[in-house]
Amino acid sequence: MEKHYRSKLSIFIFAFPGLLLFTVFTVYPILPQILISFQKHDGFNNLGWVGFDNYIKVLNSTSFWRANGNTLIIVLISLLIALPLSLLLALVIDVQTPKIRNFFKFASVFPAVLSVTVISQMWVAMYEPQWGLINSFLRSVGLESWAHQWLTDKNTVVICIAIAFLWQYIGLNALLFYTGIKSIPKHYYEAAMIDGANFFEASFMITIPLLRDIIKYVLVLSVLGSMSLFAHIRVMTAGGPGDLSRSVIYQMYYTAFSTSEFGVGSAIAVLFIIECLFVTVLINKFTTKERIEF
Amino acid sequence: MRQKIGDYLIKIVLFVLGCSFLFPLVWMLNLSFKSKSEVYNNPFGLPQEWVFSNYGEALKTFDFFKYLNNSFIYTLGTALITIFLGSMLAYCVSRMQWRFADHVILYLTMGLIIPVQVVVIPLYMMIDTFGLKGSRMSLILPYASFALASCVLMLNAFFRGLPKELEEAASIDGCNVYQCFFQIILPIVKPALATQFVLIFMSTWNEFFLAFILAGKESLRPLPVGLLSFFTSIGVSHWGLIGAAMIMCSIPTVIVYCFGNKQIENSLTAGAVLK
Repeated sequence: MEKHYRSKLSIFIFAFPGLLLFTVFTVYPILPQILISFQKHDGFNNLGWVGFDNYIKVLNSTSFWRANGNTLIIVLISLLIALPLSLLLALVIDVQTPKIRNFFKFASVFPAVLSVTVISQMWVAMYEPQWGLINSFLRSVGLESWAHQWLTDKNTVVICIAIAFLWQYIGLNALLFYTGIKSIPKHYYEAAMIDGANFFEASFMITIPLLRDIIKYVLVLSVLGSMSLFAHIRVMTAGGPGDLSRSVIYQMYYTAFSTSEFGVGSAIAVLFIIECLFVTVLINKFTTKERIEF
Repeated sequence: MRQKIGDYLIKIVLFVLGCSFLFPLVWMLNLSFKSKSEVYNNPFGLPQEWVFSNYGEALKTFDFFKYLNNSFIYTLGTALITIFLGSMLAYCVSRMQWRFADHVILYLTMGLIIPVQVVVIPLYMMIDTFGLKGSRMSLILPYASFALASCVLMLNAFFRGLPKELEEAASIDGCNVYQCFFQIILPIVKPALATQFVLIFMSTWNEFFLAFILAGKESLRPLPVGLLSFFTSIGVSHWGLIGAAMIMCSIPTVIVYCFGNKQIENSLTAGAVLK
């Protein structure tokens, strides 16, 4: 037995194909990405090395900073509203009867399994100015003046897209939190109840601190997910009106594939990688403690 | 008493919230049976006149079955390649005596941090260089590559939990490492493989970004991108047709979700429990 499990040939046969695939399509592309960001590139040919020109161009463009601002808004809404809401839902469904819990789990994960194109277009109908659900509702309760063109107003468009995106994944995040809650031993709560704790005290003193591994996992997933938002924007507004609802990734896509400035697009991608690394390190810094074992 | 009222209130809020997650799809179903003008006059009530021809008319310009076929090929191809290569690699790093096993694990975690969006420009060019343009492999290989890291890391945890005696017994019976892996180990970890299959299936079936950029040719597009080009082609005036196309696209997912939602829920949360 030993000789097979040590044999260089069998190790090679088992490990090489997978490593090759992973290296070629996931890790290696970062290298040309960085190289292209220093070139003038039309998507097919290198038209010459330009040093840091692409980066200077990106950092001086208002579109790029607006895209960063929009991305920041989406991340903040996700952090301050969507995630706490998911956590609250998870805490609440934990104390319900199995019937209600199962119905809620079924319904809330439903949007997450549908395609983003369907969900986004559905929200276009919700925001439709003439007969869409939101304006119709506002008119029917007498708030006529609040009804307006949600997706063409520069003040509301980013928030509207963020709501559609976060709505799709609130249930899924709640399910992830709920799985974590389920794994906490019940006697912790029994002890707290004997001491006279109510639902909120038990949640804040026991559940949330013990959930921090899962909270961190969901935090990283949803922050990175919100940062790289693309599909919802493409379907709902195509970045419009003008460049007002573009995210950083949309700006990268637009620069490279619509204006054929692949060098500048690559520079945006490299800056975005740096932003992602920064955020991941930041989250780790605030949340790293020893792992919890029950 | 006050506690009781609060409980009921929470139950009602949960029920309403749950329904609100389902409502938009029901609304779309309702719209899909309405004529062009009725959508504007009567957006919420049941159709006064049921227009079933919306579906037939949508199918004329929306090549649903072509996109469905593409989606199936992409999803199945990605899942099979990822699970085949991923389980072998995971077996190698967890059970074989390899000096670099820990380095490989560390290397693969890079795959969890790199978002697919940031390498799309080089991928777009590489597909040209490799001569993959116009072939379905131009999407399957990047998909499989990006799904591989989490597949290996999860299966690695499973393989480590198996007792060493399995392989020892097998080798006494004269199995070599290949027979042992394919005939003994893989059948044992079937539940883990099924979880991986569901996860990869869900994420690939709904993937939008790479498909949108890399599948340039109309005939290669999967459902989510095909649906968008249908929306673009008919504009935003005829919501009956839009609704019909959306419902058609959702039917496969809805059927799978209704029958397999327990398995899907378990798979979606499997990653979080391991971490």
